[in-house]
Amino acid sequence: MTMQGLIEQYCKFLRLVCVLLLAAMVVMVMGNVVLRYGFNSGLLVSEELSRWLFVWMTFLGAIIALAERAHLGTDVLLARIPKKARLVCLILAQILMIYASWLVLDGSLTQAELNWFVTAPVTGTPVWVFYASGVVFGISSLWILLYGLYQLLRGRLPEEEDANQSHL
Amino acid sequence: MTVLIFLSSLLAAMLIGVPIAYALLLSGVALMMHLDLFDAQILAQNVINGADSFPLLAIPFFMLAGEVMNAGGLSKRLVQFAMTLVGHKRGGLGYVVVVTACLMAALSGSAVADTAALAALLLPMMVRAGHDKATSGGLIASAGIIAPVIPPSIAFIIFGVAGNVSIGKLFMAGIVPGLLLGIAIAAAWAWVVRRENVPLPPKASFRQQVSAFKDAIWALMLPVIILVGLKMGVFTPTEAAVVAAVYSLFVACVIYRELRLASLYKVFACAARTTAIVMFLIAAAMVAAWLITVADIPGQIIDILEPFMDNPTLLLIAMMLFILAVGMAMDMMPTILILTPVLMPVVKEAGIDPAYFGVLFIINTAIGLMTPPVGTVLNVVSGVGQMKMDQVARGAFPFIIAQVSVLVLLVLFPAIVMVPMEFLWGR
Amino acid sequence: EDIKERTIRFGHLVQPGHPLALGVQKFADLVSEKSGGKIKVREFGGSVLGSESQQMSAVQGGVQQMFVPATTTASALVKEFSLIDTPFAFQNTSQVDALLGGPFGTSLQERLPERGIVGMGFWETGFRNFTNNRQPIIKMEDMRGLKTRVMGDPLFLDSFKALGTNPVPMAFGELYGALESGALDAEENPYSIVLTSKFYEVQKYMSETNHVYTANLVMMSKRFWDQLSDTEKQILSEAAAEAGEYQRTISREKAKVARDQLIANGMEINSVPQDSLDQMRAATDPVADGFANSYDPALVDLYRSEMKRIRAAYP
Ligand code: NA
Ligand code: NA
Repeated sequence: MTMQGLIEQYCKFLRLVCVLLLAAMVVMVMGNVVLRYGFNSGLLVSEELSRWLFVWMTFLGAIIALAERAHLGTDVLLARIPKKARLVCLILAQILMIYASWLVLDGSLTQAELNWFVTAPVTGTPVWVFYASGVVFGISSLWILLYGLYQLLRGRLPEEEDANQSHL
Repeated sequence: MTVLIFLSSLLAAMLIGVPIAYALLLSGVALMMHLDLFDAQILAQNVINGADSFPLLAIPFFMLAGEVMNAGGLSKRLVQFAMTLVGHKRGGLGYVVVVTACLMAALSGSAVADTAALAALLLPMMVRAGHDKATSGGLIASAGIIAPVIPPSIAFIIFGVAGNVSIGKLFMAGIVPGLLLGIAIAAAWAWVVRRENVPLPPKASFRQQVSAFKDAIWALMLPVIILVGLKMGVFTPTEAAVVAAVYSLFVACVIYRELRLASLYKVFACAARTTAIVMFLIAAAMVAAWLITVADIPGQIIDILEPFMDNPTLLLIAMMLFILAVGMAMDMMPTILILTPVLMPVVKEAGIDPAYFGVLFIINTAIGLMTPPVGTVLNVVSGVGQMKMDQVARGAFPFIIAQVSVLVLLVLFPAIVMVPMEFLWGR
Repeated sequence: EDIKERTIRFGHLVQPGHPLALGVQKFADLVSEKSGGKIKVREFGGSVLGSESQQMSAVQGGVQQMFVPATTTASALVKEFSLIDTPFAFQNTSQVDALLGGPFGTSLQERLPERGIVGMGFWETGFRNFTNNRQPIIKMEDMRGLKTRVMGDPLFLDSFKALGTNPVPMAFGELYGALESGALDAEENPYSIVLTSKFYEVQKYMSETNHVYTANLVMMSKRFWDQLSDTEKQILSEAAAEAGEYQRTISREKAKVARDQLIANGMEINSVPQDSLDQMRAATDPVADGFANSYDPALVDLYRSEMKRIRAAYP
């Protein structure tokens, strides 16, 4: 399998996980509303657990968006400069993004280690699970970005994407 | 100096093609270096904790509700209902756009999702009926930005969380200004089509109206549930969002039976992906926000704005012009995320009501969605309608003027926002 | 000279004017005075540096130097801190000061350095009371079925279940709205919080259960602490202790004032008869004992022997 194919398979898997996480969040938060009004009780873990699933969904989804080049950006400058200059800008941009991802990974590892024995108030889950989302995000995005950098260095510009969309 | 470092690193990174979320992380790095407190943990800590918020959990739920509405036939029925109401008037389809946009705004929290649905459903109809394509596209774009002003609104949720303002109060405050925006673009449309002679469909009979209403009633119930539930405190904004998602899923799958299992997976995947894009941006902005706080940038801004502090109106005008300028060049969400921590201390210091300011701020940044060079709503309409962005922007011009006039009105007469807000929220 | 130019970022979660904020300001003044202006303490209130767990983690990592959360938060690091939250343990503030100022308070803080934190003593939020919208709580049965917001902490949740209420963990920010609309019937907080958060507008009755004393732990980052000279350490320790004296005093004064203001704002405040309190304590004791079973027995024994001594000394 090509590297590109491998990345696509990985994203397909992440998409499935994200769908499951979102469904679990819907069930838990809705379940709590129903329990509170219907049965005068509640799932005590619902609030904390749904927040943690949300954090994980955010970072796994952000990996997908990175692979699909779907993160919000602007091409005001890039669209107006010659191809060579554009390539130089994109290589520089890619290196900066790699650096930022590296810092997120590095900091998340430190935080995961510091929180090894710390527990979440309600569920009692160790807090490193929370910071591990940053570790997975950091490693995955380094992989995707480094491959992207390799493509750029070979002079391959990414295909023109549809207008990036934010759903606001 | 600190402000300059923050802004220039942010802009430079964006210009060479770094996505905004990463540009925010990098401007955070620049600030850390400038403040001499470089530590990778600051990035990791704030980016991860930035995504850890129960109020923001409303975002995936409202996204899901929006996707289900479009895929499950709710949006379509709203258009049909609006057609029977105003379709027969001169320029009738234009009013259908405005009425549908207001109805959809009360169901959905996202301008882009609403605009995409409006453009897909109504732009071909308008062009077929003989309306000018650019003007129609411009109208649809301007109608789409009502979505974040009328509750529910993802923009209000993000602003409320970033600025520590009651989301319920913001929701109630947005209703009247949102309707005003609709009225303003309807008026502008009336002026635009005053000489147009497009053949009109016959007036729908009362019977047809009732039948379309019955068909749409399930969709129309949703805003009622959300607003009454919030007002009566049956649920929090996050719970309102999950109720909206579950309700629209129920209507789409059980009542209308237009959503099959296979498309259900796609709907969830789309909502999760869009949420992740939004949330990652929010999380990255938290890094910048933490460093902005530590660097005391708000204090520096307050010093600059000191001469305006005694005159809230003047201060508001200055801030609105500034936001409008930023909103031209940037998208709505990053504008909210970057400016809220900077401007809110100023707003509080000057004694301006935070929810009132929030309404002006969100309308202002929503207008920015349809102004070049960066306007996501413009992109959507030009994408769906196969037009150049400048064309749509030109077509949107009269409606932008109309909406800016509403904004000016709200700045000059705060009572338009405050009186209904206090009536509806009353706390 | 063994005092360097340093800046301490000191975070807390409350609004300006709250006794904890006043304590931080006092600490800042004392440090500046004692260090000849070389060590600066910058106050970051109102959660601007993040949630409890984020700030605690930032202190561990050395990104933030100081933080003063409730000891309930610290129990995520060292679970024995939950012993301080044992319901109905204290009858008066003398007992509190004797426990936290004595060997038990010291032993707890000695557990912190292995988690990257240095304990700088205890400040306070104060005794918590029960408010609700239905009726004054005279007997334990009066609490039955009340939907009550409690902190998201297992000891609190289980204790309030044992008292017969329906405990709901909810973020503090959503509490006012939930009480106003009637989604919740009850909550529990110290006088000052009930006053500053305007819960008197949405809660009719306050019953002086004094069920839990909330202490706050002054946390110092160990990574930062280890860089300091002995002189600097001494300055900061002294300032923390002095500011602590001041903070507890003003907190107790302000509690009295807040109580009067709550009454002036129309709240009906009632005291709870001792036999009702004993009944409540009998209901929650097994819960607290159950949690204590999972703690370090040495600390639990110390806690129990200390409490016995203290209750006899300060009845
Ligand atoms: Na809306
Ligand atoms: Na714009």
